[in-house]
Amino acid sequence: MNSVGEACTELKREYDQCFNRWFAEKFLKGDSAEDPCGQLFKRYQLCVQKAIKEKDIPIEGLEFMGPSKGKTENSS
Amino acid sequence: HPWETVTTAAMQKYPNPMNPSVVGVDVLHRHIDPSGKLHSHRLLSTEWGIPSIVKSLIGTCRTKTYVQEHSVVDPVKKTMELKSSNISFTNLVSVDERLVYKPHPHQPDKTILTQEAIISVKGVSLSSYLEGLMANTISSNANKGREALEWVINRLNAEIEEFAASARGTMRNSMAAAAFVEK
Repeated sequence: MNSVGEACTELKREYDQCFNRWFAEKFLKGDSAEDPCGQLFKRYQLCVQKAIKEKDIPIEGLEFMGPSKGKTENSS
Repeated sequence: HPWETVTTAAMQKYPNPMNPSVVGVDVLHRHIDPSGKLHSHRLLSTEWGIPSIVKSLIGTCRTKTYVQEHSVVDPVKKTMELKSSNISFTNLVSVDERLVYKPHPHQPDKTILTQEAIISVKGVSLSSYLEGLMANTISSNANKGREALEWVINRLNAEIEEFAASARGTMRNSMAAAAFVEK
């Protein structure tokens, strides 16, 4: 599966592999160990943020917010 | 299929042959909240196969529509909730979908999915026709969604089988080699 930014696809694949493994083997089994994919995610995220800005995709303000952000506020 | 299998497949739903229009998936944000639930915000890009003559009129950058998806997985209560809404440049039609996956209350090796969709069409006199069309598409999509997960689950199982078979082959070879060396 590709990324919205063509340049980010490889970073996305690496992150996805890491995440899918952790999700199925640790998270769902109740293992509260830290997600080991943080570094991969950061690199992938930076790439995606850039691609979204470049393509002008109108995401409603939720991106790049920290964990303190709750539900998105849809303004339509 | 058990809830864990369905949830794992749902996180890897794309690509699959039932949703050929989804061309890109990205994770915008992901975190575990204080109660241990995993929140993911994802962006899905879809390409609807618009005829090239239309593309040449409106420009290729406008042929993609985007869907924003927020999912919450609770590994303790065993629920997965997905909320998605489309975002597009025209904002004429918006479709909000909500899906919840839970283990079957009486059959633990099965999962129940409840799905609802809210369609809003702005200021267009074709609205009731469009809504009817959308509603039909959405209810047939609900079936497609189940088929899509079935496909992903089969693919994941096949990958595991393949890996196990090659591991067995490798072990047999090394055991045979060890036995040979011992002699």
